[in-house]
This record gives sequence, C-alpha cells and structure tokens, in this order.
Amino acid sequence: MSSDADTVVKTIVAPASAGVAPASGSPLARLAGLRWGDYLGVAPFLVFAVLFLIVPTAWLVIGAFQARDGSFTLQNLIDLGTPQIISSFWISIRVSVASAVMGAIAGLILALAVIRGRLPEGIRSAVLTFSGVASQFAGIPLAFAFIATLGRLGLVTVGLRLVGFDIYRAGFNLLSFWGLTLTYCYFQIPLMVLIIAPAIDGLKREWSEAAATLGATPIQFWRYVGLPVLWPNLLGTLSLLFANAFGAIATAYALTGSSLNIVPILLYAQIRGDVLNNPGLGAALALGMIVIAALANIVYLVIRTRAERWLK
Amino acid sequence: MTRAKFWSWVIFILGALYFLGPLLATVQFSLSIRRTGYSLDAYTNVLQSPAFQQTFTYSLLVGVAAIIVGLLIVVPAAYFVRLRAPQLRPIIEFVTLLPLIIPPIILVFGYIRLYNSSSILPLTNSDWGTNILLTLAYVALALPYMYRAVDTGLRTIDVQTLTEAANILGASTPTILIRVIFPNIIVAALSGAFLTLAIVIGEFTIASLLNRQAFGVYMQNVGANRAFEPAALAVISFVITWAAMGAIQLLARFAPKTQRI
Amino acid sequence: MKLHSVIATSVSVAALLTSIAPSYAAGLDDLVAAATKEGQLTVIALPHDWCGYGAVIDAFKKKYPGITVNELNPDAGSGDEIQAIIANKGNTGPQAPDVIDVGLSFGPTAKDQKLIQPYKVSTWDSIPDSAKDADGYWYGDYYGVMSFLVNDDIVKSAPKTWADLQKSDYSNAFALAGDPRVANQAIEAVYAAGLASGGKAGADAGTAGLGFFKKLNAAGNFVPVIGKAAPVAQGTTPIVAAWDYNALAWRDGFQGNPKAEVIVPSDAVVAGVYIQAISAYAPHPNAAKLWEEYLYSDEGQIGWLAGYCHPIRFNDLAKNNKVPQDLLAKLPDPALYAKAVFPTLDEQKASSDVITKQWDSVVGANVQ
Repeated sequence: MSSDADTVVKTIVAPASAGVAPASGSPLARLAGLRWGDYLGVAPFLVFAVLFLIVPTAWLVIGAFQARDGSFTLQNLIDLGTPQIISSFWISIRVSVASAVMGAIAGLILALAVIRGRLPEGIRSAVLTFSGVASQFAGIPLAFAFIATLGRLGLVTVGLRLVGFDIYRAGFNLLSFWGLTLTYCYFQIPLMVLIIAPAIDGLKREWSEAAATLGATPIQFWRYVGLPVLWPNLLGTLSLLFANAFGAIATAYALTGSSLNIVPILLYAQIRGDVLNNPGLGAALALGMIVIAALANIVYLVIRTRAERWLK
Repeated sequence: MTRAKFWSWVIFILGALYFLGPLLATVQFSLSIRRTGYSLDAYTNVLQSPAFQQTFTYSLLVGVAAIIVGLLIVVPAAYFVRLRAPQLRPIIEFVTLLPLIIPPIILVFGYIRLYNSSSILPLTNSDWGTNILLTLAYVALALPYMYRAVDTGLRTIDVQTLTEAANILGASTPTILIRVIFPNIIVAALSGAFLTLAIVIGEFTIASLLNRQAFGVYMQNVGANRAFEPAALAVISFVITWAAMGAIQLLARFAPKTQRI
Repeated sequence: MKLHSVIATSVSVAALLTSIAPSYAAGLDDLVAAATKEGQLTVIALPHDWCGYGAVIDAFKKKYPGITVNELNPDAGSGDEIQAIIANKGNTGPQAPDVIDVGLSFGPTAKDQKLIQPYKVSTWDSIPDSAKDADGYWYGDYYGVMSFLVNDDIVKSAPKTWADLQKSDYSNAFALAGDPRVANQAIEAVYAAGLASGGKAGADAGTAGLGFFKKLNAAGNFVPVIGKAAPVAQGTTPIVAAWDYNALAWRDGFQGNPKAEVIVPSDAVVAGVYIQAISAYAPHPNAAKLWEEYLYSDEGQIGWLAGYCHPIRFNDLAKNNKVPQDLLAKLPDPALYAKAVFPTLDEQKASSDVITKQWDSVVGANVQ
C-alpha cells in the first residue's frame, strides 16, 4: 500500500510514541513492569466482573457438568452432539453473522451520512438518540411491529398490493431466515451507529482536506485513509453485533417461535420450559455458546491486531 | 446540492423509512382498538394506572445510577488497559461479551444465590440492598455496550500524548481522567449512556425476580395478554425513552468538551 | 364483574365455614394469626389474566389485609418456578417464592428433588385422587381444555374440529400459542390433534399429532408465529389453539374488536391440569398454607371459575349447587367438558418426549 495518500496518513495519524510503554520481553516481565497504579485503575472493573459476571457464569459452567442429582457427568456435553442441537448452533451462527454484517455495513453507511454528510444539525442528535432507543427495541414488540408492517396483512404488504405488487407472491416471506435477519437489523444498525459515531468524529477534516490537496478522490480517501483508520473499531463493533445477535432470543421466539431452531430457544426449553427441563443440558448449551463467542472473539482479535500494527 | 449531500439525504430517507415504518404500523394498530375508527383508548387504558408514573420514575433513577456506576467502572479500566496494560485487553473484551451470551435469568439466579440472606453480603434482605443489586445487575447487562463505546472513544483520541502532556503539566491520574480524558470522550460516553438507559427502562426479568417495581414489570402486567395495549405501551415506552435521552443530551451540552455533540 | 361474584359467594362461604366444623375453624384462625405475623406471601408466575388470578389475589389481600403479596415474574414458565426455588434456597427475602403453580409433570420431579413440602388443605378429600399426590406434596388446582380462538372478522367459517383445520379455507391461518418444544400449551395442542387423528393415548398420540402438523404445514395452513391476543387481532394468526381459559380471556379482552369466538373442537377434548405446591424453603410457610386454604376454599375455587378455569373441585361444587348460574352460562357447553380426556402423568411424559424431540425433524416447519 504505497501511495501518497498512505504517506499522508502515516505522518498525520501516527502519534508520538509514548515513553510509558511496558517493558518488552516475556509476558511475565511485561506484567511485572506495571505499576500499582495501573492495576488500581482496572481493579474496580475486575472486581465487578468477578462478582457480577464471572461467578454466575462459573456456576453455569459447573452446571454443565452436573447430572440431575448433582454428580459429575460428561453426558450433557455428549448430548450436545445430537443433530438437532448441532443444526441449531449452525443456524444461530448464520443468523448472527448475517445480521451482524448487514447491520455493520448499513450502520456504517447511515452513520457516515448523518455525521459527515453535511445534513442539518438536528438530524445528527435525533438519529443518535433514536438509535439509543431502537437498539433495545427487541423481542415481542419488535416482532409484532414487523408482522404489522411486512406480514401477510401488514401495512406495507397491503399497501404494495394495492398498487399491484405482491411481495409474498414474489417470494418474500417475513417468517424466514432473511425475514428474521431483516428484523434483527432493526437493533443491530442503531447499535453500530452509536458505537462508531465517536470514531467517525475522530476522522479529522484536515485529513480529507490534505488528501484532496494531494489529488485523492473521495473513494481513494476512504480506501487509504478513512477505512483503515476505522477498521479496528469496525471489527470491534462487528464482534459486539455478532454476540448481540447470538444471544438474542426474544425476537426470534416471538417471530418464528415454533419453527426456528436456534440455540437460545433450546437453552430456554431446557432451563425454563414447561416440559423438558434438563438444566444440565441447558447449561451445556450455554457453555457451547460461550465457547463459540470466545472463538469469534479470538478471530476478531487476531484480525484486529494485524490491522493495528501499523497504527501504533 | 453537492453529490455528497444528495447521497446523504437518500441514505437518511431510506433509513428513516426502514426505522419509522414498523413504528408507524405499531401506532396504527394501537389506534385501532375500536371498530368504529381510530381512538386513543389503548393509551388511556395504559396511562390510567398510577403505577405508570411510579415505575417509570423508579426505572429512570435506577438507569441514571447504572450509567454513573458504569462510567466509573469502565472509563478508568479502558483507559489503563489502552495506556499501560494492552495484554489485559483480550480478557476484558471477552468478559464484556458475557452478558450478551448468558441469559439474564441465569444472571439473576446467580445473584440471588450469591447475595441472599444467608451469604456474606445479604443484599436481598433490604429494599436498599436489593436496589443496589438491581443497579449493579443493569451495569452488568450494559457492560458490553458501555465498554465498546468508551473503548471506541478512547481509541479515537491520542491517549498517550494527552497523558504525557498532562503529566508534564503536573496533573495526577484522577485529574487526567476527569479533566482531560473524559471531556474528550463525551460523545462515546453518551452513546454508552443511551444504551444503558434503554436497557434499564425495558428490562423485565431481573427486576421481576428481584421483586422490584420497575417499568418493565409494569408493562408486562398491563399489556401481556391484551391485544392493543401492548402496542400502545411499546409506542409510549419508545417515545418517553427517546425523550429521556434527548434530555441527557441537552444536559451534556453543559459539560466541558472539545467536540460538538 | 368477577370480583362481584367472588364477594357474593364469599358470603355464603363464610356461612358455610362457620357452620361446618368448629374445631377446624379454630385451626384456621390460628393459621391466619401465624400468617399475619409473617406479613408477606411471595408468589410467582401468576399473570393477572390467567385464570383470573388478578381478582383472586386482590380478594385474598382484601380478606387478609395484614399480608403483603409479592408477585414475582408473571411471565415465568414452570421450569422458571422450580429454578427460582433452587436459587433462593438460603434466601429469606421477598425474592424467594413461597408457593408455585406448575404443570402436572413438575409435581413428582419437584418432590424427588425435595423442593416442596407436604400440606393437606381442609378440603383435601374433595380433590380427585388422580390429581393429587397421596402424601400431600402437590395437588391439582384447576384445569382447562384445549380450544380454538377464532378471529371471526377474518375467518369466514370457523373450524369445529381438528380435522377441519386441514381444509384449504384455512391457508396461513392456524398457529400454536407457544413453542411445541418448550411450552406445555403448545405440546398439549399437538397431543390433542394426535388424539383427534386417531392416535392412542400416550406416545402414539404424540406421533399422530406430529403427523397432523406435518400435513398442516405442507398444506400451508400453519403459521410459525406464536399466537397470542395481539397477532390474533392483527390477523396474522386468526386461529390459535390455546387453553380455553386463555382463549376466553383473550376474547373478552378484544371487547368486540375483532369479533371472536372460542370453540372446543369436538373430535378431541384434552384437559390440562396444573398443580399447587408449597416450597420446602418457603420463608413464609404459614402464609403459604393460608393461601392454599384460600385457593381450595369454595371462594377461591369460584374465583378461578370466574377466570374461566375449571377448579379441581368443580364436580364437588356443582353437586352442592355452589356454582353461580351466571358463571356457568359464560363457559362453553358442559357436554364438551364431559368428554374431556385427562392424560395421566405417564401418557403426558411419553407424548411430550416424542413431540419435543421430533418436532423439528418430522414437521419440518424449520425456518429456511
């Protein structure tokens, strides 16, 4: 990637290297190089995390290895191997990836338009606050809203039918994989907008001006300056969007409850349901979800570390 | 109009259609409670209950508390991790994803086990203790969003240079955090605050199992098994949460900052 | 209206109680005193619209004003209630449920796990043997039968039987009120469809039910949305299979918009029993016992009837002419209830096993 624009980025963006980097060498030496004060800052977070996240999770993980009477067993993990459960993990991953990617792209475009698009001032505030609300608009209200809009008797469906276009005859079905993904995007896109907004703010005007001075077209600016700078943030948010969709159950349940076989629904069935009630299996399912989320996170970290190498 | 502005408008309008469409459909349905035409009956049914104001105020207060505690926990941690301890980053990021994966009902049962009357920290016995437990539970639920927002904000500013400069001028670490770092990440902090508030207002399972009269519990009680009231409730909840966020944003204009909000 | 009838009957009940057993009445007074001293009762999973629980709780609070009722998670399923007891084992705060109202199959398992304690209410003998645990650990409280809620504005001619549902008139019309892999209501609907299709009680009906739904789905009549009041009114799921008490409550909630009716399909009438139990770790055991006494008193049982649930002592009450005529008039035809089939614990377990495990593979309604 050697171009004038690239040089521009390196000279403008690369910060002065600080004199407070931890000592290089073995991880232990690096840890030892930290001062007390550093840990003090992270301590509240770690204490909170342990008390309010790690311990309940640990109980859940232990539960995955317990039979009904409390004895140790691997049966729950073995039970994860049934075709129904494997296909449920696979569908979960597909829905999560699809809605995360679509949400990320659409969210980025929307955020760019609203923040850098020279629209009237109030639109930015309105969109950001709206995104805050919409990002948590999920579950039964969201499912119902989409049914009322794009269901067979939904407003838009009926409206389009009046002008002669029947989307259902054309093959669209809200109660399908893509319909569910479309519904998930309702909270994925706002989440993306909110989280990427400060990063887009950080793309200084001087950079695009400098790039323009050097003769770069807008597309070149984005390809060589804008996107690379945003890339780590994009990846981080993508990872968040994936986990967000992966753990979401209420919306899917309300929309296609009896026909969609995703992991949270199975988990729900084992731990909360009226009939099945095998908490050990439910815990094993949750453990599987944690493992997958961890793997996704590792993939994200690897990609991001590579991308950040030249930034710092 | 420049080309950029034109496309921005196109994108904005498409976005508006996608997001306002389902809301309009919900509103239309909520107004259809009578056979004889549109009416606000569903809304009056819902708003009549005295519990509406009480539970909403309660949830709002808990939400603000959760925002403050969340920022207090996350900002220093994200700052130090970015500045001095990048090797802790993978662990912390993974931990912040846990609340998205673990169902809230498992979390709340875990908290009840940990903090019930026979434990070292009997939070469930008193009203105040349970309120604190609920606030901390919401901080946990909002952690992924709060952390990611603050981290994005920190990544965007040059933390090391700012810290160095402040150090040279003789600032202590708390001063750096409060007077240098935080004003620069207001936008990110606001994002996290919005997300936290939205979570708290709508949350139901944890509040209900901890026996707290929160807004989510009220909504469930009023609307769960009716036809039109849940739609009215969804609209009301959407609008007032949006208003609350608008209020937060207005207040944030008074905070010291270097970027426009 | 419900409260009115409850209060009306409570007068006669009060007279009844004071006249029957003086020694027993003294026991009840002691219980009331002990319960009032505890001051609280924590219940869980009792939505106000389910069996008229809202009115029942209000009547209880009115009768015993010294007792605050904490209502946890009305959205909870039976599994949640059991988990709540387990999680609250050391907790004496108001988050620990005192009493639970769960599906029939949860009784024996809760007893095995030592989560519930025995108590025989004073009206114990009038509870049918098949609906209670001999040692008093759990006892049936009410039942309902599987029925259809039909949105008459959208569905021109309502189906009268399970077999009717397969007709092409009902394209994209029928939904279950829950997930058949999770919710009792949905599973029993599949079971009822199986019985109607000729399956024998137990696992056989489960398999037959799955076959029925496979056909229904292939014909395009099945909608995978979970049917509740809102989707029925909106039109996405104009026909929903639900317990009659739910269907009737939803119908009432519409208040005429849309016009709806509740139909008990005549080719198979399946009844579902729920049970009461007191938690072994209840922080307020006396309040719990008083609550049970209230629920099983004539007043409490009629309170459930006002919510369209058939109380477990219905036959006893009817025999003694305790059931108000106007309430009876609001319920569907008693002749249908006479044909009701009560699946035994074993039959329920076997059929649920089949239905929950094979729903995805057989019915193939899996979203693509």
